[in-house]
Amino acid sequence: MSSVLDSKIPSGSIENKWKDNKFKMKLVNPANKRKHSVIVVGTGLAGASAAASLGELGYKVKAFCIHESPRRAHSVAAQGGINAAKNYQNDGDSIYRLFYDTIKGGDFRAREANVYRLAEASVSIIDQAVAQGVPLAREYGGLLSNRSFGGAQVSRTFYARGQTGQQLLYGAYQAMMRQVDLGSVELNTRREMLDLVVVDGKARGIIVRNLLTGEIESHSADVVVLASGGYSNVFYLSTNAMACAVTAAWRAHKRGSYFANPCYTQIHPTCIPVHGENQSKLTLMSESLRNDGRVWASKIKGDMRKPHEIPDSERDYYLERIYPSFGNLAPRDVASRQAKFRVDEGYGAQGQEAVYLDFRDSINRLGEDKISERYGNLFQMYGKITGENPYKSPMRIFPAPHYTMGGLWVDYNLMSTIPGLFVAGEANFSDHGANRLGASALMQGLADGYFVLPYTVGDYIANTQLKPVKDTDDAFKAGQDSVKNEIQKMLNIKGSRSVESIHKELGRIMWQDCGMSRNKAGLTDAIGKIANLRKTFWNDVKIPGVANEVNTEVEKAGRVADYLELGELMCRDALSREESCGGHFRDEYQVDGEAKRDDDKFCHVAAWEWSGSADKAQTRHVEELKFENIKLATRSYK
Amino acid sequence: MSSDKNNINLKLKVWRQKNSQTEGAFETLDAKNVSPDASFLEMLDAVNEDLIKKDKEPIVFDHDCREGICGSCGFMINGEAHGPQKGTTVCQLHMRHFNDGEELVLEPWRATAFPVIKDLMCDRSALDRIIRAGGYISVNTGNAQDANNIPIPKPDADEAFMSATCIGCGACVASCKNASAALFTSAKITHLALLPQGRVEQDQRALDMVAQMDAEGFGACTTTGACSAACPKEISLINIAKMNREYLRASVLKKEELSGGGDG
Amino acid sequence: MLNFLKSTVGRKYIMGITGLVWMGFILGHMAGNMLIFLGPEAFNSYGHSIVSNKILLYGTEIALILAIIGHVTSAISLTLENRAAKGTRYAVMPKGEKASTWASRNMGAQGSAILAFIILHLITFKYGAHYETTVNGVVMRDLHKLVLEVFMKPGYVAWYVVCLLLLLFHLSHGAHSVFQSFGILERKMQAPLKKIAWAYAAVVAGGFLSQPIYVFLVNR
Repeated sequence: MSSVLDSKIPSGSIENKWKDNKFKMKLVNPANKRKHSVIVVGTGLAGASAAASLGELGYKVKAFCIHESPRRAHSVAAQGGINAAKNYQNDGDSIYRLFYDTIKGGDFRAREANVYRLAEASVSIIDQAVAQGVPLAREYGGLLSNRSFGGAQVSRTFYARGQTGQQLLYGAYQAMMRQVDLGSVELNTRREMLDLVVVDGKARGIIVRNLLTGEIESHSADVVVLASGGYSNVFYLSTNAMACAVTAAWRAHKRGSYFANPCYTQIHPTCIPVHGENQSKLTLMSESLRNDGRVWASKIKGDMRKPHEIPDSERDYYLERIYPSFGNLAPRDVASRQAKFRVDEGYGAQGQEAVYLDFRDSINRLGEDKISERYGNLFQMYGKITGENPYKSPMRIFPAPHYTMGGLWVDYNLMSTIPGLFVAGEANFSDHGANRLGASALMQGLADGYFVLPYTVGDYIANTQLKPVKDTDDAFKAGQDSVKNEIQKMLNIKGSRSVESIHKELGRIMWQDCGMSRNKAGLTDAIGKIANLRKTFWNDVKIPGVANEVNTEVEKAGRVADYLELGELMCRDALSREESCGGHFRDEYQVDGEAKRDDDKFCHVAAWEWSGSADKAQTRHVEELKFENIKLATRSYK
Repeated sequence: MSSDKNNINLKLKVWRQKNSQTEGAFETLDAKNVSPDASFLEMLDAVNEDLIKKDKEPIVFDHDCREGICGSCGFMINGEAHGPQKGTTVCQLHMRHFNDGEELVLEPWRATAFPVIKDLMCDRSALDRIIRAGGYISVNTGNAQDANNIPIPKPDADEAFMSATCIGCGACVASCKNASAALFTSAKITHLALLPQGRVEQDQRALDMVAQMDAEGFGACTTTGACSAACPKEISLINIAKMNREYLRASVLKKEELSGGGDG
Repeated sequence: MLNFLKSTVGRKYIMGITGLVWMGFILGHMAGNMLIFLGPEAFNSYGHSIVSNKILLYGTEIALILAIIGHVTSAISLTLENRAAKGTRYAVMPKGEKASTWASRNMGAQGSAILAFIILHLITFKYGAHYETTVNGVVMRDLHKLVLEVFMKPGYVAWYVVCLLLLLFHLSHGAHSVFQSFGILERKMQAPLKKIAWAYAAVVAGGFLSQPIYVFLVNR
């Protein structure tokens, strides 16, 4: 066990850590800020909010996004809402309660100090969003409305119908575009980061591919912020967008940034089930639906009856039965697992891999209009995809990969193990432990971007000797060469397998052996299979076209190559974590289907150090987690 | 692959164009054994897999979230933006709406302000520049008062939300015979003008965003309503009326800026 | 102000205001002409009273000329820009709701035909054969005779009918658009305003059409 990981958690009481720390931070004077440059990779909630806020402070910001416009970032697809400890409902919420719920929701595998700061920032996020013109839902009195989300017994989720992510993203995007107009942010679209440039041990720039021309470009700066999202697409089928990739984070990992808890993945309980072999992605049905929808399966094995033919007495409302105090609003990992158990035991809806999410009772109680007002766009989306009418028959749902709690390891200041490389949003590992609560991803992305990085990046700049670096320096040339060589190497293989077919195969292995439940035999097997598949890729992949123009196959190939390395690390991480916690469920470690933690041996973060080669095992480092405010306890929603 | 009896076969006439400098042409391709449950883009994925097998370049089109919210996808199917369904992006268009043996013509958005990049992919960055010109509220991080300090009547908030749901896909421009971006621009102007926070800058915003819209080379609105009919989020034409009113008001009432600020 | 006139939105206001001037005039013109059904005396006296009031006459003429200049120049500049903005056309034209109406797509062609019609119309009537008649002791121009003469010619009536049908479409789209351009379209009013626009266009075109048809078929 190694202790190279210094989390830099400030001393003092949990309530004062961030406040005191902010005061102790060194400041950069306004005239000097102009002389410092910051690269922000990714322009979703975390990236756009960071770029806007750093631009407002006066730094020279260069923002990069893979899409044609920052507004396309996958934050746009978040549906249900954003948590904030406003206590507008007077139902007993507080910063401390949000902190408590999040720590417990993460099954005691998150850092207390980070989570407390997140809960504090949540309040300001809502204020900021409303000031930007984000049209959050309101009551007739003109004040903001709330709904409930899983893992909480208070109503603290703010929302804009089923499009909360879209509206919050546009708020951050517009704030950033304002800075673009003012000249403090330079926006580079259709660029994919393919390498991190480290000079004298500090992150000083990135190598990107211009997706329109194929040109490999160098960009230098004093600080690099990665806000490049999560890696659920390692499963091929997930709720993530097609361009969501681990690539930026992985390339940074290969330059020395440790990767923490890669096995912590969130399988979201309410997604539209898989329909066929050619399916390219899965679609989420917001957790908010569980406010009014009841989850059930038939009590009879292999029941092939249509749902409306099954009388109430023969329906098992299993979440309400097993978790009477949280009911349908049990947290995601718990709800997903229970759905899987039902299907595994043969209670799936009409023999399929699905359970029911039923609105019959709430439609009877509130009327179709009210349900349509609350969830209209989700019902419409369900109807479009399945061709069924969810007002008339219950939705069929099944869990699907949705979010990754693991990510690049960062300290309290969100800085990775490479000085000058900061990581924000889903790309880092810091706040959700082993399971993220619903409506907390938007909160974390924006907290990092608006309220944490603007301070900690400044502190780093003020405290660090930064020698001038140009994007024509040798380190950048070397980075360009390695990227170009790798692309050319892939193009030269001219084998027989399409990138897509290899990705699908990887996805099947991951879902099978590193999905909702894992065990030693499966994980060991998967590690071997992935290594073989990686060989297949590098010997037999087929990429048409050339490198120096728009070539979507080249783009996909680079991402799949990285997933083939990450997938193995996920399995290794899952294998070495001999306990169950949150979304990480090992068959060997359970009590009646509930996760059984081992706090003596595994109350820590596992952070992996790149070994120099994909075929050489990475080194596992450990950051011990201390729970000083919330007592370690078995997590129960019963 | 087993061939399901419900599966269909289609003939596609797809616009293929190498890059913005070269001229394009239609290529006829077969889409075979398409599942009615597949989305339109999944159908194209399968066609692309076939092309790759034959060492040909796949059809390039923008796409990302595939759940109708990111605004990346979009092209013309038989002359209709995002295809025949109402309120639907092409990624949410499912093959059950097509018949066996149908011929479909796929073309990229056509507008001078949206140059074709490759095949069905075009450059819509002009829309970002319209937002950049004023589609925001000038508030720095950390300046906000409590979110509930200003109550906003629910009808205004709801109306603002309706306008704010625009995903910037460009179907309005593509469907307009004049390639006008009036629906896109007006949706943002309306969204912000309906909220008290946005009213402070409403005049300047209307002037700047309309000026940018014109500078990008979009045409004028002729109230045909094709934009709204093609809009996957069904943004209403009344946004354009509101924009016109805002623009007139701003042009008439615009206050001269006093030169120089305080000298303290 | 210059920026306003240069903008697409500003020129749409010009189109709307100048269109409204003509819409008002046309409605009045049509109503006045209905006097033809009451016979030559009423018709000629009405005409005479208009030309006798020089302030009204020249005022109206100046307003109409200015309006049509504004309307036509804005229309030409907008049409050229719109063409440039669209660039390449689609291989397949849209149908159904996602398509534009025929009227809206051909406003330029209709407008050009109507402009030609107006000029010809002025040559035929205002500057046409000058007959005289006496009504109640007052000598005045016998326009009634001229109208009858002209409306007996099948070729002229056919051209007149075609132009009025074009006017019908032009007005139906224009009258609806004007609400939009002026920003007075509200959600609830969308459908009714479309109907009002069509009703207006139908009244004007129908009224005008009734005159030559009446003369041609009934009064020969």
